[in-house]
Amino acid sequence: MEEMIELLKGVEFFDGLTDAELQRVAGICREVRYRKGDLITTQGEEGEEMYIVRDGLVEVTIGESGTAPRTVVNLGTGQVVGEMALVDRGPRSATVRCVTDAVVNAIKRDAFDQLCQSDHHIGLIVYRNLAADLSFKLRHRHLSRR
Amino acid sequence: MIYKVSIVIPGAEHGGAILNLREMPKVGDHIKVGDMEVEVLEVMDLVPPRGDFHFMHATCKVVDEEKSA
Repeated sequence: MEEMIELLKGVEFFDGLTDAELQRVAGICREVRYRKGDLITTQGEEGEEMYIVRDGLVEVTIGESGTAPRTVVNLGTGQVVGEMALVDRGPRSATVRCVTDAVVNAIKRDAFDQLCQSDHHIGLIVYRNLAADLSFKLRHRHLSRR
Repeated sequence: MIYKVSIVIPGAEHGGAILNLREMPKVGDHIKVGDMEVEVLEVMDLVPPRGDFHFMHATCKVVDEEKSA
């Protein structure tokens, strides 16, 4: 558990949480291992989990009708993918593929919602950080299109 | 301190990357992005630091084309 808490401290999503709060977050994380080339999410499919990249690199691609899928960003250790499905319950907005072998921590939406509702401080911090993470990704997208 | 860095590679099809680094990136540094290695050409703060995190942007070029293939 201590190791997991140290890992979560390196994830901006959880920055500002106490060790006790991180312990509660660690309790809803499930470790999943992928091989290079494996898909974590597929654009258009339903999603119930978000993923924290614990080790490795994943590629985020978006396909638009009539064009080949385009890589919009690669995400490394400490980054979060699949978070939009937790917020808006919509279909996956992108396909996420492992560029290298990868280890991720998966968090189910129901468990995440329950945690945020049972502890509003965790909810406040995590949702603020989620907004900041989405903002950072948007800034990256703008810069990469210049 | 953790440096969350937006890495952009102008002119490449690569979508760039977002990585957490333990050391502040500097011009001339080489950074591994999966199997690819890039060199930092320009670096700047992207937004003000918050908590244990600094938020930076780095413009890079690929230095190991073979590995990036």
